[in-house]
Amino acid sequence: MGVIFYKEPKLSNPILIACWPGIGNIGIIAVDILRRVMAAEELGEVESWEFFYPRRVLIRGGELKSLEFPSNKFYFKKMGKKDVMFFIGEEQPTDGAKAYAEGIKAYRMANLVIDVALKFGCHRVYTSGAAVAPIHHTARSRVWVVPNREDLIDEVKSYENTVLMSDIEGRDGQGNITGLNGLLLGVARKRGLEAICVMGEVPIYIHGFPIPYPKGSKSVLEVLSAALGIEVSMDEINALVQQSESEIDSVYDRLPSEIREQLDKLKYVTYAEPSEPEPITEEDKKKILQEIDRLFKKEPGRD
Amino acid sequence: MREGQLFNLFDKPKLESSSLVVAWNQDVGKVGTKAADYLRRKLKGLEFAEICPESFFPLGGVSVEDDVAQFPESKFYCCPEESLVVFKSDVPRYEWYEFLSLVLDIAEKYFKVKEIYTVGGMVSSAAHTTPRMLLSVVNSAEMKRRLSHYELASDMDYETQDDQRPTFSSFLLWAARRRSIEGASLWVPIPFYLLAVEDTQACKKLVEFFSRRLELNIDFGDINETVARQNKEIAQLRSKFSEIDGYISKLEGNLSLTVEESEKLVREIEQWLRGGH
Repeated sequence: MGVIFYKEPKLSNPILIACWPGIGNIGIIAVDILRRVMAAEELGEVESWEFFYPRRVLIRGGELKSLEFPSNKFYFKKMGKKDVMFFIGEEQPTDGAKAYAEGIKAYRMANLVIDVALKFGCHRVYTSGAAVAPIHHTARSRVWVVPNREDLIDEVKSYENTVLMSDIEGRDGQGNITGLNGLLLGVARKRGLEAICVMGEVPIYIHGFPIPYPKGSKSVLEVLSAALGIEVSMDEINALVQQSESEIDSVYDRLPSEIREQLDKLKYVTYAEPSEPEPITEEDKKKILQEIDRLFKKEPGRD
Repeated sequence: MREGQLFNLFDKPKLESSSLVVAWNQDVGKVGTKAADYLRRKLKGLEFAEICPESFFPLGGVSVEDDVAQFPESKFYCCPEESLVVFKSDVPRYEWYEFLSLVLDIAEKYFKVKEIYTVGGMVSSAAHTTPRMLLSVVNSAEMKRRLSHYELASDMDYETQDDQRPTFSSFLLWAARRRSIEGASLWVPIPFYLLAVEDTQACKKLVEFFSRRLELNIDFGDINETVARQNKEIAQLRSKFSEIDGYISKLEGNLSLTVEESEKLVREIEQWLRGGH
């Protein structure tokens, strides 16, 4: 199968929460915190060498001791009536040099994850990622939800702080979910499993930078914990949000005032009033991104 | 293993047990590929198999190196009398594990491989007058014991740094160990100012090892001649240009050069040796 199992627990009606790194690491931060808070046990791992180039070699006394690959692990937590499984991948497999999964390897990986889900009797899969949105970083990130079946729409709409693609101005219910967090939704659908992708919003002027965006993760964590019907302490994620916000603020404060004024308009964007004129033009957006890019490049340690 | 799709077999060598020497074309100073070519030429190795590139390399065009269009190659050469197989290949761009599995499948099925050696170079700040050494990394304690009589520097401790990744040779050694095939990576340090030209001494060091280990009885007359010629040419350069002599003398005294000095040494050596002095 390409998966090594450490244990073979009998799980009761489990759901699987699967995630790989993506924009702002929004999904992976949320899912990993949830896994740790729930004290999920290790279940097994994908034989990663079939998908990835090794990351690290350890040589001692002239002998190759070990070769380390990006880990792709399964975890489980017995809850009684509805158990929970996790899958956390450290890297997305690709056939080329792209950061997000595509091609045969990605499809094989997605099928492996679904194989394991079916082996343990899963009935539902959640994946998580990021939604790039014209929001300000001081605003609460909302969560875009995409199910793989029409009959799940009413349920996902009932989660607090969520929006469907059709709620987003100009999208008309259309869009793309790049990489494995999206592909898994499709493979689950093909193999008869219901699946939902929950994506935390990341401000458009931040998404291109290699920094985490825990505020989006917090919103995802809230939705997932509500969907599971469990209470999760937000202390850890709140600390991450606070730290990230102060870092973003420090860059923001150093932006030229005309750029900051443009970005400040995003504070007043509300999806409830889609008829309002676009607050920032495409031309403005280009200038803003260039300016922020310049600032990030000037940050110590980012050169 | 799909013959005709993943690889082509032109002949079936009759080997009951063999050693495989692997050289990657993306090698530092190309010393590994030169040693592999030398062995193949001296032992009259014949190509008997190749791995097809389409599953492992992007074929959206060709790269050009030193004014010449390149194309990925992965070829096996057999020297039946010596029970030796040489594999020369580009490092695949993806499907690394599948590629290595295919190499090992062919090695086990068609020439009953017993030991695998990868050969390559590493950059050194030592002078060319410093005797070359051979470093080894093995994939088993037994292999280390077996190679203990060959004057190898075999006590390396190393861990990949954050901005680096393991060599493809390490990946091969690891994959071979999973099949209980013993293997070693052999590395020769090459003076940095000979990287762009040729370090024949380094090449000789590798070939000497195989000659002893596999009892190949190679006549080194030609390679000795090339080594002597290169040393003579560098000596002439040193006597003509005191500045260059000073740089090399510093390296001989274990002193380091500035970036500008290093760049000038590389440039002058390359021009001088390529100029055919």
